[in-house]
Amino acid sequence: MPSHPLRVAVVCSSNQNRSMEAHNILSKRGFDVRSFGTGTHVKLPGPAPDKPNVYDFKTTYEQMYNDLVRKDKELYTQNGILHMLDRNKRIKPRPERFQNCKDQFDLVITCEERVYDQVLEDLNSREQETFQPVHVINVDIQDNHEEATLGAFLICELCQCIQHTDDMENEIDELLQEFEDKSSRPFLHTVCFY
Amino acid sequence: MASDNGEEKVRTSVALQFFSGEEESAADMTTSEKVVELLNQAALISTESKLTVLKQVQELIINKDPSLLDNFLDEIIAFQTDKSMEVRKLVIGFIEEACKRDNELLPKLIANLNMLLKDESVNVVKKAILTLTQLYKVALQWLVRSKSVSDMQEACWDMVTQMKEDVLALLDSDNDGVRTHAIKFTETLIITLSPRTPDSDVPKKQEGDISLDKIPRDHSYIRYDALCEEGRSALEQLLKFMVHPAISSINLTAALGSLATLARQRPMFMSEVVQAYETLHANLPPTLAKSQVSSVRKNLKLHLVSVLRHPSSLEFQGQISTLLLDLGMTQNDIARLTPAPREPRKRPRHEPHSEGKRIKMEPTLIEDDEDKEEPAPVTLPKPSASAGTQSAIDLTADFLLPLLTPDNVANLVLISMVYLPDVMPASFQATYTPVESAGTEAQIKHLARLMATQMTAAGIGPGLEQCKARDEEVKEREGEGAADVSSSSKDPLIIRRMSGYGQAISVLGSHTGKSQTPPEPEAPQPKRLPEPILPTAKPKAPGASGRKKVFRLADVVQPLSSTQLEKLTNMAIERILQSEKAIAQSGMSHVRVKLLARLVTQFEGVMKEDLLKFILEDIRSRSDLAFSLLYQEYNEYLSQLPSASLDSYEHCLFTLLSGLQEKPEQRDGLFTKLVLEAPLITESALEVIRRYCEDESRVYLGMTTLKELIVKRPSRQFQYLHVLLDLSSHEKEKVRSNALTFIKRMYEKDHLRDYIEKFALNYMQLLVHPNPPSILFGADKDTEVAAPWTEETVRQCLYLYLSLLPLNHRLVHELAAVYTEAIADIKRSVLRVIEQPIRGMGMNSPDLLLLVETCPKGAETLVTRCLHILTDKVPPSPELVKRVRDLYHKRVPDVRFLIPVINGLEKKEVIQALPKLIKLNPIVVKEVFNRLLGTQHSEGSSSMSPLTPGELLIALHNIDSTKCDMKSIIKATNLCFGEKNVYTSEVLAVVMQQLMEQNPLPMLLMRTVIQSLTMYPRLGGFVMNILSRLILKQVWKYPKVWEGFVKCCQRTKPQSYSVLLQLPPPQLTSVFERCPELREPLLQHVHSFTPHQQAHIPSSIMAVLEANTKMPEPAPMEVPEEREVQAQHVAVSVVQTEASGPAPVALNEPEPQAQPLLVRTEEEEEPMEEGEVATASQEDSADAVSQEDVPEAVESSGPESHEKSEEKMEEMHTESSDATEHSKDAVEDSGAEAETATVDAEQDH
Repeated sequence: MPSHPLRVAVVCSSNQNRSMEAHNILSKRGFDVRSFGTGTHVKLPGPAPDKPNVYDFKTTYEQMYNDLVRKDKELYTQNGILHMLDRNKRIKPRPERFQNCKDQFDLVITCEERVYDQVLEDLNSREQETFQPVHVINVDIQDNHEEATLGAFLICELCQCIQHTDDMENEIDELLQEFEDKSSRPFLHTVCFY
Repeated sequence: MASDNGEEKVRTSVALQFFSGEEESAADMTTSEKVVELLNQAALISTESKLTVLKQVQELIINKDPSLLDNFLDEIIAFQTDKSMEVRKLVIGFIEEACKRDNELLPKLIANLNMLLKDESVNVVKKAILTLTQLYKVALQWLVRSKSVSDMQEACWDMVTQMKEDVLALLDSDNDGVRTHAIKFTETLIITLSPRTPDSDVPKKQEGDISLDKIPRDHSYIRYDALCEEGRSALEQLLKFMVHPAISSINLTAALGSLATLARQRPMFMSEVVQAYETLHANLPPTLAKSQVSSVRKNLKLHLVSVLRHPSSLEFQGQISTLLLDLGMTQNDIARLTPAPREPRKRPRHEPHSEGKRIKMEPTLIEDDEDKEEPAPVTLPKPSASAGTQSAIDLTADFLLPLLTPDNVANLVLISMVYLPDVMPASFQATYTPVESAGTEAQIKHLARLMATQMTAAGIGPGLEQCKARDEEVKEREGEGAADVSSSSKDPLIIRRMSGYGQAISVLGSHTGKSQTPPEPEAPQPKRLPEPILPTAKPKAPGASGRKKVFRLADVVQPLSSTQLEKLTNMAIERILQSEKAIAQSGMSHVRVKLLARLVTQFEGVMKEDLLKFILEDIRSRSDLAFSLLYQEYNEYLSQLPSASLDSYEHCLFTLLSGLQEKPEQRDGLFTKLVLEAPLITESALEVIRRYCEDESRVYLGMTTLKELIVKRPSRQFQYLHVLLDLSSHEKEKVRSNALTFIKRMYEKDHLRDYIEKFALNYMQLLVHPNPPSILFGADKDTEVAAPWTEETVRQCLYLYLSLLPLNHRLVHELAAVYTEAIADIKRSVLRVIEQPIRGMGMNSPDLLLLVETCPKGAETLVTRCLHILTDKVPPSPELVKRVRDLYHKRVPDVRFLIPVINGLEKKEVIQALPKLIKLNPIVVKEVFNRLLGTQHSEGSSSMSPLTPGELLIALHNIDSTKCDMKSIIKATNLCFGEKNVYTSEVLAVVMQQLMEQNPLPMLLMRTVIQSLTMYPRLGGFVMNILSRLILKQVWKYPKVWEGFVKCCQRTKPQSYSVLLQLPPPQLTSVFERCPELREPLLQHVHSFTPHQQAHIPSSIMAVLEANTKMPEPAPMEVPEEREVQAQHVAVSVVQTEASGPAPVALNEPEPQAQPLLVRTEEEEEPMEEGEVATASQEDSADAVSQEDVPEAVESSGPESHEKSEEKMEEMHTESSDATEHSKDAVEDSGAEAETATVDAEQDH
């Protein structure tokens, strides 16, 4: 829809790494973008794989940052978590949960299949009123810093292409096929209604 | 309003902020004033601010002060024609809000919405669809609420209904997004037009929404049945839409969601929904990409789960869980999601037919408990198609179930193996999940259903047949029912309107009839907004609307007129034509090329011309199109055999080739390529190739192409060869020489050799015609034209032949044969042109030798010419000499044969032939002497001469005067004297010496002596010696010699006095008789002697000297004397003196006689006889001859003789000039001879 800027939501599990990376880039490119997580909690890597740092969605990035600095500044500096949190808190105060957001979007981009399923489930469980369509696209991105950056660029490119179509709904199918070929990764794509 | 939503609230709050901002600055303004001001602003500002301002207005008049709504309605609506689609969308939003706020606005605004529904921007259309989705319910509710329905309301509802149909039709839209919106509209429509039941899921916010169950059956305008039917029909359309094989993944996703919603909110449709899911799962559209398949399957799973969760899914749990298993869910998960079984309900499908009938009969049935179940059956009777399909699958599945024994299944598997594709299709791979419950009852059932689904879709199976039979039954009953209704109706108004339903099963069809008819009988309805913009397009029949485009097209489209058709076709092709670059970029050029070629060959007319013109505009880059077109044309021709016409193909090829000819550059060989790759070379194409060959700038290209054709197209090579051969006599030199070069190359090929030879010979054969055949002038018919042969035409016939001659010497005999038959003109021309080839053959050519040997009658001149050519530069070979000698001796004793080989002959032979030789034309004689004396320009031949110059001169003197007349001999000796370089004083002295010693003395001895003396005065002493010795030889016995002797003495006086004194007296007397004037000087001479010396003079001599002093004829002697003196001024000549008698005549005569000679030499045709006559008469006057022979003297002899001598000199000069000139002259000379020879030969006969 070229007439008004796309309303984009980028969704990952914890609204920390992948969705925030994309949020960062997309907002720099002038998109009307928001980011979300779909998990019940916000999870960050801890000292061991089975000991993650778990917060709820009300905790601000700032608080998490301070918490981790307190726990083990060196470890979290070294694995980039602090850096990430630092970036995040400059974008928005705290993570948001997709299921709790009732705002409408034109395009929801998810970062892994599980998130995609959750988004779909949520959207389908809502009562439909306006029947305004929302396209949900899944772009699989591994949850690490490098992939998040690469994935964010791909998402950004995708959004730019969609923004530039004359008639998004009519062209998105083809566009996605092209992107699939180009990036050689499959996209899940569906439409839901508000 | 219940349908107010979150978005609206957001918007409201935003707008309120604006509003409050405004309020600060204009606190005292009334709302109305503000609106006016805002609207005034809006008219002038940019789109973005306009949106903001209009939103404020909307907020003000809808939420803040709805009483203003009516006032400003028109102003806002005016923006629906705004350029910006965002503004138009805002107007739609306004319409929705306004109508929801005040239902009474519906009739005013619905027409505007209708207009916007047909907006050119899809985004506006989509927004309009969304709004209609809402307003449909609003309108229905509004109508149902009103106790009495006004005309305006009716019209409004009709329009809404119309728009509903339009949106349903948009399921077939070209735009994916529009279709998606149409699906959602359909979903809502179905839900609205079906009854809510207790087991329906009801979204909280839609609790207040109208649905079929809230519609009173006795409503004055809204018909419960009709709406129910419409809902049914919409469901059908949706289901049909879903099974379209080319459905897009998004549409499919949306439809899946809609079905799930339907199943949950209207469990009565659960069966159809599950059925549709099953069908879809078994037949995923083949057009979906792999990832789309995953997306769709994920969706399917999601929606199946949501359906499964619904309590009413109980009886479909088996099917649903099988599907979920197939989609990759575990049994546990399924079990977890499955709701606990409830009290089983009465199956609605048990007695559908009777129920349907019952309801029809009891239309006023009030809502009661039973109603919960009734709506479902209500929908069943009429739309039996989908119900029937379902039943058909059920029936077929039941039929199949017992048949699926392990044996049968194994057999099926084996049979189907044959039909498996080589490679596993991607979609199969993506969707395949291992069968978990193989062999179980449930799985077998599922399999049976799967097969039944496929079979029903394919139109086979027992279930389908049973259903058909049942459908017919139902229809019959319905007919009865309808009749019942129309006859037993209660309300007259309803009757009138119901008649529409009764007559047509199609609800929609009757609607259109209604919407158009009411205005006529009823009172005018000025308030009816829909009127002015009521769409005129006929709505489609309900049955058709669900089908796909092909069918719709046929409905809508009208046959075009032939001119229109043609125009459209042309335009279409033109577009394909012009899209060259775009297509090239996409890499599909080959498709375009093929398409164009096919299209154009199928249609006659201007398109072909256009295409050809297009190709020729840039044939370099469009050659593939050219070839494609050409092949296509040829294909077309082949396909129509045997009655096919080549015209089209020919035209195409011709145009292309001709077009190419007009292009400047030809380097890339496109022409050649086109010719060589053309499937067939037609006559006209060959003509173009010929034109190419005739074009001097393209001749090489043309000929190369032609050559390639000859080599590579054996089947018609002679046809092509013929063209090339034809060109060999072309008037343009460049064309001709090229053609000849190519032919020579062809000639090396054995299979072409005969043809070429025959052609060349045939052409040469034309020379026997008395006049050149018109073929030589380019005309086709072999009619003779009265034009004479010219040099040019003769050459034309010979070019090819002559170029072949050096390659095949045998051909020379053919030339001889033609030559003998040809007329004189031709002969001359032939002799002129053969030099080069004959020289090329060389004198060792066996065939040439054979020709010399056999020399056909009439070909003598030809042979002579050949000999001349051969020996022109090189001395004759012994072999050649032998042949010529044989010819001369045995067959044709014409001495002229010998001339070319004269230096190859022996001395004896030369001397023998000499008499005959010198009798020939003086020019020829001159040549002979040149050869013999080595004064020819060629080098080396002189040494070969069999005779030394001295010998030659002596031989001349010794010619028997009976064999040859004296004049010829004199002339011949004169020729010798002409060669001053050769005949030096020494040579002449030797000659004189030898001649003098001969016995008898040669007649011309003294002449030669005198002439030598004239040339070399220093020979005087020697001559005196000769004279003295002649006295000893009694020279007076030879009268002629004696005469010369006297003359010599006369000339050499006073030196000769001593000689004279040696004569015996009688002879001295004789001298004085001849020359009386000598006596006196001699006497004085003697007197001047010393006495002693005088004593030695015999007295007899003295007597002679002194006696008889008186002169017998002083006077007559005086006159010649004087003349002689005069003449001696002009030309000092012994001969002149000798011929003193006739001198006066001689002086006058040479001029008139020389004149004709001059003319004749110029004419080049002078027959030898005439020439001889002329020479003879010339000879008569010694003067003339002497003038010729002594050029120095001639120089002062007046203009005419001067001219003549110049001519002579010129001849000599030209003979010794460059080769071409020489040969030409020689040809001319020989030509003259040739003719004479012919004449001679004829005379011999």
